[in-house]
Amino acid sequence: MKRRGALTIAVLASAVALTGCYESTDVTVHKQGEYKGMKDPLLDAKATAEREETLQKRFQLVQVDR
Amino acid sequence: MARMKFLCDAERCVECNGCVVACKNEHEVPWGVNRRRVVVLDDGVPGEKSISVACMHCTDAPCAAVCPVDCFYTTDDGIVLHDKDLCIGCGYCFYACPFGAPQYPQKEAFGVRGKMDKCTFCAGGPGANNSDGEYGKYGRNRIAEGKLPLCAEFCATKALLGGDGDMVADIYRQRVLKRGGRPQTWGWETAYKKAG
Repeated sequence: MKRRGALTIAVLASAVALTGCYESTDVTVHKQGEYKGMKDPLLDAKATAEREETLQKRFQLVQVDR
Repeated sequence: MARMKFLCDAERCVECNGCVVACKNEHEVPWGVNRRRVVVLDDGVPGEKSISVACMHCTDAPCAAVCPVDCFYTTDDGIVLHDKDLCIGCGYCFYACPFGAPQYPQKEAFGVRGKMDKCTFCAGGPGANNSDGEYGKYGRNRIAEGKLPLCAEFCATKALLGGDGDMVADIYRQRVLKRGGRPQTWGWETAYKKAG
């Protein structure tokens, strides 16, 4: 009886331990050189064109010798 | 599309460190990090020259090239930014940068670096423009407000110029013409002049 109980526990313990051997088959491929972070609104092309003119005016206003 | 660039005119820079103070104050830069710093050549010697240095927003940024997690990106107008959420603090970008622009706040013991911090050209970072989250991580986003970097706008002598690269170069060219040539702060005559 005792031996049967020990055997049951051993089988259960090995079953639990074996769950750690699971290996996911999904492979994540990281392409080098590609930005992987959050999106930045500054990258919006249309806004960039408008911004360029605004910044050029600002430069003339503030940084050019008076 | 114009590229945004900095240029510090060494002939005009008086080492007031106004640019350093402006940057640190505007973006609440953490202790131990100087996004912008003034480097003095021949300090104390008559004829000393000073130059304000920060991230140069390189066209082919070496920091972006070496980053193992690709947390860097470049906007259409050439501003090099990065995502602190992706950054692992490995320090590679610091090794690669010829200007020492990427810096790390010392937040933990045993030399553990925090997230990399550097000059953002006052363009903030990824995330919604002018949000609290963006301000907390990257500082003020002046570019989104239609303004230029505060360090350049703050410069008392207009030594530090920051903006459209073509306009910056044009202004510097006019100054050089007016002065009658380039100063020999660095170059052949400086490298091979007699000592003492």
